Amino acid sequence: MEMAKQEIRIGVYVCHCGLNIAGSVDCEEVAKFAASLPNVVLAKDYRYTCSDQGQELIKKDIRENRLNRVVVASCTPRLHEPTFRKVCEEAGLNKYLFEMANIREQCSWVHLHDREAATEKAKDLVKMAVAKAALLAPAEEIEVPIIRKALVIGGGVAGIQVALDLADTGYKVYLVEKQPSIGGMMARIDKTFPTMDCSICILAPKMSDVGHHPNIELLANSEVIDVKGYIGNFHVKVLKKPRYVKEDCTACGDCSKVCPITAPNEFDAGLALRHAIYTPFAQAVPSTYIIDMNLCLNKDEIMVCDKCIKACERQAIDFTMKPETVELEVGTIIVATGTDVFDPSTLPNYGYGKYLNVITSLEFERLINAGGPSGGRLIRPSDMKIPKRVAFIQCVGSRSNKSGRTYCSNVCCMNTIKDSLLIKEHWPETEIYVFYVDIRAYGKGFEDLYKRAKNERAIFIRGLPAEIIEDPKTRNLWLIGENTLLKEPYKLNFDLVILSVGLEPRKDSEIIQRLLTLSRTQDGFFMEAHPKLRPVDAATGGIFFAGCAEAPKDIKDSVTQASAAAARAGILMAKGKVTVEAITPVLDVEKCKACGLCTKVCPYNAITLNKELKRVEIVEAACGGCGTCAAECPSDALTQSHFTDEQIMAQIDAVTEHDAEKKIVAFCCNWCAYAGADFAGVSRMQYPPNVRIIRTMCSGRVAPKFVERAFARGAAAVLVAGCHPGDCHYINANYQTQKRVERLWRKMEQNGLDKERLQLLWVTAAEGERFASKIREMQKLIEKVTMEEIELAKRVFAKAGGA
Amino acid sequence: MPERHWRTPLDAEKAVRPKAEIHIIKDQCKGCGFCIQYCPKKVLEESDEINARGVHPPRVVDEKECIICSFCTAVCPDFAIFVKEKQCKDGC
Repeated sequence: MEMAKQEIRIGVYVCHCGLNIAGSVDCEEVAKFAASLPNVVLAKDYRYTCSDQGQELIKKDIRENRLNRVVVASCTPRLHEPTFRKVCEEAGLNKYLFEMANIREQCSWVHLHDREAATEKAKDLVKMAVAKAALLAPAEEIEVPIIRKALVIGGGVAGIQVALDLADTGYKVYLVEKQPSIGGMMARIDKTFPTMDCSICILAPKMSDVGHHPNIELLANSEVIDVKGYIGNFHVKVLKKPRYVKEDCTACGDCSKVCPITAPNEFDAGLALRHAIYTPFAQAVPSTYIIDMNLCLNKDEIMVCDKCIKACERQAIDFTMKPETVELEVGTIIVATGTDVFDPSTLPNYGYGKYLNVITSLEFERLINAGGPSGGRLIRPSDMKIPKRVAFIQCVGSRSNKSGRTYCSNVCCMNTIKDSLLIKEHWPETEIYVFYVDIRAYGKGFEDLYKRAKNERAIFIRGLPAEIIEDPKTRNLWLIGENTLLKEPYKLNFDLVILSVGLEPRKDSEIIQRLLTLSRTQDGFFMEAHPKLRPVDAATGGIFFAGCAEAPKDIKDSVTQASAAAARAGILMAKGKVTVEAITPVLDVEKCKACGLCTKVCPYNAITLNKELKRVEIVEAACGGCGTCAAECPSDALTQSHFTDEQIMAQIDAVTEHDAEKKIVAFCCNWCAYAGADFAGVSRMQYPPNVRIIRTMCSGRVAPKFVERAFARGAAAVLVAGCHPGDCHYINANYQTQKRVERLWRKMEQNGLDKERLQLLWVTAAEGERFASKIREMQKLIEKVTMEEIELAKRVFAKAGGA
Repeated sequence: MPERHWRTPLDAEKAVRPKAEIHIIKDQCKGCGFCIQYCPKKVLEESDEINARGVHPPRVVDEKECIICSFCTAVCPDFAIFVKEKQCKDGC
């Protein structure tokens, strides 16, 4: 408020960027124009504004000319906004009093051959920035303390590695595992590729370390049921299900021997039996036995059978145990929930579930494992004989529209190569055929292993079998298909067929997704904040990914990612505090009618309705800064700092002041659409110069009144552009964008307006051409828009737009 | 666990289960039916015959299913039922 009373003194710097800008924009003229704008006290053009000299110039001007706003017209704010914000701060000016006009990526580079139009556009862009700058307010970033404890969800190899790394760094770690033991998929595998290490032999010591680490609290047989809070301050509820066996258990196994109930052991893929009281495998951590209450005879507190109790010398069995809810306070959460395997019985042509001698690669792992149900003998389930001819079928549940899994599962090629070598090692005479689509041996040491398998005479045939037919007498299997390299059909007979099944997202991913407000890719795996530069961060602050939860990957990659996630979480916890960018919403308590609409659209659950006080409450630390709440608020009670209604309206007004009927007003989200437009610039894709881009953090910030204002001021067309649905940087805020645009379309149609004048575009940061062609397409559209139509739109939206 | 377990486990035959020998003292039974109701493996059912006390005593449906938990003995108010483990030398 104090600032508003103060005289506004804006300094404008128009950067030449060598010839990058000056090559197609008359920078001197733009600077002269800028000097004529209201509140501008000085305007200069400079060769390289980001250079040390350029920075010093700005600092000197701030001090000497008492500038209290700075506008730099140069490259994209995604590149140098932090640089210039720092310059302002160093000269004693709040960094939120800086604004940027993007006249390189979104002007000079995309209009290389039209100097006049590019210069005019640059002027407009500077005018918009100056208009916004006049309304900027200083802001302080709030600091949030971070609890120096971490929660790791999932105790596979990734979760184990994260827990150990963080615990060794000195942080308290809670490791929650749904199963009775940690170990995950890796514990079930016989050998690992490409080194052929024994899987459990290298994993068991790590599991044991987890069990004994003073900084790790292991909550096995437990599930996360509730997560509240935000980065640095999560309040987590974990349901600890009873084991019915106390920690006094020495894992002697006497109880199991006398237990009269048996069922297939899940750990052994159902190939071996276990009892109702059991341990899933010998190396289990915790080693304490567990009673499966779905099987045990003692139900509803009626003690029918007490054989285990009698057999237990330590008197460790306790049927009175009850489920308990453990409440945890943690600063960071690492999601390492792992993966499921594809169920091939959904593909009837391979006969899995019908033909005994068709097995999955996971069943193979248990059969070839010396500690497994067959003692390491690879047997045909039909007659327990060792097979002489074995076939592997690749891509079962991967890279196929038929199975509904279109992605590559990443590990199956190498797993099969490893398995074929294992068979050759034990039974060198076995004939092995691998039916594949492509063999992907892309990693360190992978190609060598592939070559070894070929040298050992494993035969690789390109072309998956169309069908498997069983010989009912011998239970042998006929594989029928086409060798696509030879263009010849094949019909081959095998004793045993192994389906190399793909990996798929956990069936219960949705629960974790909802609890932690995460987003998932189309494939269903969790989505990282940035695929290249933030590969283990979730979009939600303080949450990280490790292992197959993020995408299918092998053990090495899982461990690498786990250590990366531990480092990322460690950085936050080491700092002990985090600053939140001051772009969070501000509530006008007087205006709030407690309708609660904002609470429904907030992707982060950062706004809650206080029914008693009849208003909403904002948790700034939980806020992601998308601004969709401000767009939703019907009573203007919420406004997003640094992207206020006033500021955005001022930008719209600046664009539409002159020649509005020839212009496209575009609203682009910072992460995808604006970046996509930048990418078009970097790639020098040329498009018509009539578009003026207004940057918002998310397309969800674009309130209908912004669009209406643009039309009310005579704009020819409006473009709203954001991330593809499902890719939103703010989880799902762009679904609100879609709803709002659809409402506007209806309104336009009802009032006899051509709804084509409002366009909605989903564009990723990599889709520069998509953005450029949309502008070309819209250029054709606006050329056809008549003055009558412009006037009609002005009248229709005059009231709502408030122009 | 999303994986389907449809095969007979390889060690299914090797799993030794104690063989039961169920003894019912029919004429001592007063027909309360507790043993039938509480047997976790549903090994017993009511028979058609009428005993000395004029009620239907229980009858064994499938002795192989019995796991010798002896809960029937525990709940029988009249000490009319007990189970012994068949010794293999007796030819089981």
